[in-house]
Amino acid sequence: MLHIKCPHCGLRSQNEFAYGGDATVKRPELNKEVSDKEWDTFVYLRKSPRGKHLEFWHHISGCRQWFKVERDTVTHEIFKTLKPNEDN
Amino acid sequence: MTTTSALEKVYKKGLFGDHDNKKEDSLVKISEIKNLIIFQIVQYKNSSISIKDINFEGLQLNDEASKVISNSDTRILWSGPKNWLLVSSKKELLKSIHSSFKETDFAITDLSHSKAIIELEGNNSKEILKKGCPFNFNELRKNNCVNSVFNGITITIDMIEDNPNKIRLFALRSFGESLYDSITDASLEFGYKTL
Repeated sequence: MLHIKCPHCGLRSQNEFAYGGDATVKRPELNKEVSDKEWDTFVYLRKSPRGKHLEFWHHISGCRQWFKVERDTVTHEIFKTLKPNEDN
Repeated sequence: MTTTSALEKVYKKGLFGDHDNKKEDSLVKISEIKNLIIFQIVQYKNSSISIKDINFEGLQLNDEASKVISNSDTRILWSGPKNWLLVSSKKELLKSIHSSFKETDFAITDLSHSKAIIELEGNNSKEILKKGCPFNFNELRKNNCVNSVFNGITITIDMIEDNPNKIRLFALRSFGESLYDSITDASLEFGYKTL
């Protein structure tokens, strides 16, 4: 069981959260011509790293906010949590 | 306004669980709370108004996590950033809600009929909640609130009093009966009285 520090509520049990996928994926720019390949990459292609991974989590049973978590996919150690608009 | 009980089919008055040879005062008291008005207040992201300027019925709104601001009949629970749950027994508040929270800055939603409310009173209240909720209840003090889960049901916990503990639980109305069953199951070992 993980304990995740929500940037708004503090340390809470994993039971209250939902995993939201890779946080490094960038959506193609709006109002720009997007090729099928670019769109396919954005929608489907994901890395499966061994080690540090930046991911989205949703505090679904808490403050209902999305935030970013830097987690080790091997040890599950959580290094930091960030608000979605924060980079470091 | 009188609301129909969300727990009508499961709520029975009496003494239950391990209550033999125990003083009634030492039992956990469980009750359904009805006839409260509940409003969700959300400040829009593009709103520039400072919440410090908002004074509602003498209550100064704040955006501090887990804090409840209250007076004798109204409690405003922090639900998330720029998101509050207003709970009151004062029915005529609707007009002052709309005058204090301008519709250009706030979304106000009436949730009065969409919640089931269960109140636990007694020294074992926290022990009961610990059985199904992962939150660290040692941190929960008077006038704190928490959104969490109890046996998979999303709940809002409002700590009204700490001597003895008086805790109010809010769940979606459709989960009310399941929550009531879960809470009463967890209370059996302590013995409980429904009011």
